[in-house]
Amino acid sequence: MSDTRDVPFRGGGFVVVPKRGAAVAAFVLLIALWEVSVRFGWISPIFLPSPGSIVQAFVELVSSGTLWKHIGQSLHRLAFGWSIGTLGGLALGFAIGVWSLSRAVGLPLVSALFPIPKIALLPLLILWLGIGESSKVATIALGVFFPTAIATFSAIDGVPRNLIRMGQSFNLPAADVLRKIVLPGALPGILAGFRITASIGLILLVSAEMIGAEYGIGAFILQAGNLMQTDQLLAGVVMLSVLGLLIGTGLTRLERWLLRWR
Amino acid sequence: MKLLRLAVAAVALLALDAAAAEAQQLQKISVGLLRLSSSGAVFIAREKGYFREQGLDADLKIMTAAQQVPVAVTSGDADFGVTGLTAGFFNLAGRGALKIVGAQSREEKGYQLNAYMVTNKAAEGGFNSLKDFAGKRLAVTTTGSTFHYSIGILAAKYGFDVKSVTLVPLQSLPNMAAAFKGGQVDATIAPVTVARQLEAEGAGRIIGWVGDETPWQLGALFTSPKAIAERRSTVEKFVRAYAKGAHDYHVAFNARDMTKPAGAQEVRGPGYDEAIGILAKALEQPAERVRVGLPYVDAEARLNVGDVYNQVAFWQSQALVDRTVDARAILDLSFVKGHFNVPR
Repeated sequence: MSDTRDVPFRGGGFVVVPKRGAAVAAFVLLIALWEVSVRFGWISPIFLPSPGSIVQAFVELVSSGTLWKHIGQSLHRLAFGWSIGTLGGLALGFAIGVWSLSRAVGLPLVSALFPIPKIALLPLLILWLGIGESSKVATIALGVFFPTAIATFSAIDGVPRNLIRMGQSFNLPAADVLRKIVLPGALPGILAGFRITASIGLILLVSAEMIGAEYGIGAFILQAGNLMQTDQLLAGVVMLSVLGLLIGTGLTRLERWLLRWR
Repeated sequence: MKLLRLAVAAVALLALDAAAAEAQQLQKISVGLLRLSSSGAVFIAREKGYFREQGLDADLKIMTAAQQVPVAVTSGDADFGVTGLTAGFFNLAGRGALKIVGAQSREEKGYQLNAYMVTNKAAEGGFNSLKDFAGKRLAVTTTGSTFHYSIGILAAKYGFDVKSVTLVPLQSLPNMAAAFKGGQVDATIAPVTVARQLEAEGAGRIIGWVGDETPWQLGALFTSPKAIAERRSTVEKFVRAYAKGAHDYHVAFNARDMTKPAGAQEVRGPGYDEAIGILAKALEQPAERVRVGLPYVDAEARLNVGDVYNQVAFWQSQALVDRTVDARAILDLSFVKGHFNVPR
């Protein structure tokens, strides 16, 4: 009966431990390998320009002063398009999540309209809104709207029912149930949706700037592609990546602040 | 009886063998191109067996955008390419990936291929002449496209600065047509089918044709420098078959009667119906649509060499093609005799 033995702690692993240098080291190694392969002629620069030539293209952009114009115009479109799409998506998502009637109407609508490729609609958008800023902003807003709506109502569906019931049995008014239980409970899911829609916005920037844009990162990438200037094309792609990284970091901060109650 | 059957089988086998041997002798090559009548020489040469005569088995790789053709030749997916010349083409060729060996289609007087169009609003505002492009908004597919060069040489002809025209790149013909219809631009340069459609819908007016104003070398036949160095005889055979197709095209389609007051009138040459049939099948379009907008194709694939030099110089002046690109280095004029307008 007294047959006891020590049991070692088995709960280790599967815990995220911050490893600060690893990501940077991996990036550096990868880029160095890339540069070396082009330098030694293992990869033809026609097929893959070296990181050095991409930096060169970047430097030219900075020195000609067009870089900030490209970034400024794109950020402007992104900010407007994303905000409009997100506000609309949040409103529809909440309506679907909270009221049965709007769910009955809204859900099939979202399912029917979401899969339409926005690029296919470009000629129509041009006819409706012209080739100014509004059609570019609309392209991004449309792309952001549906995923936001879906993320929002899914997040609301995911709020534990027992918490809502509890609030109701304590006689909380409906507005308070929404504000103090549903909204905070749905917030993590909504913020995860933001992460996706921010990337979708960046992707759609290229489609949006297909519409007669003179400046913008998307317009720059398109032109470089058309001219087969592959180093500039990749410089544009790097810009999008860096922008994505910055927005991602910003969202992480926002998440930490908004979800500090956890 | 049994003997007879055996004999029949033996003969059949022999015939099969011969066919297999012939197929084996044929050298497999591939051509990248678009389904356009400007590539008619290739379609005709293939259909009429001119490649086979040269011992080649030509596999057509149909692309959907002009930009893909030089890329396919660069990457080795196609041995030859025929398509329109763009700034992107010269950037690739300038890096030693491509060499032009012959001509495709040309803008030529009397051939309605691409039209200058103005919107109704712009026309009412007094934009009725080709000299009025300065300060206007022009819809094009892309920066560096054939349309961009067309406005460039028009500017040189009428003495306005091409930089004073605001180019609005819309990436595709449908987008371009939509912006034109909506009055978002003042003008566009559109292929004949699109231009006729826009005119029929009352969206604007055609005020001239590129071929009538500024004839130029629209497209070319090209291959990789590696193919020329390592398989010169194959390139020679290909060019011979291609030129034979171009000759048939020339005989059937190129004749024009310039004496008519209404302008150049099409004259149907020998083999017209057959050639139209071949093109209609290759382009997967009804014959009536093929008849409209048949471009000029040189009978022997001869290039307007001076214009190719001029194209490179124009793109360089617009900072769209690298300064180091040398027109002389991207041309190999040894495969076709009689190239004209050759700079010294």
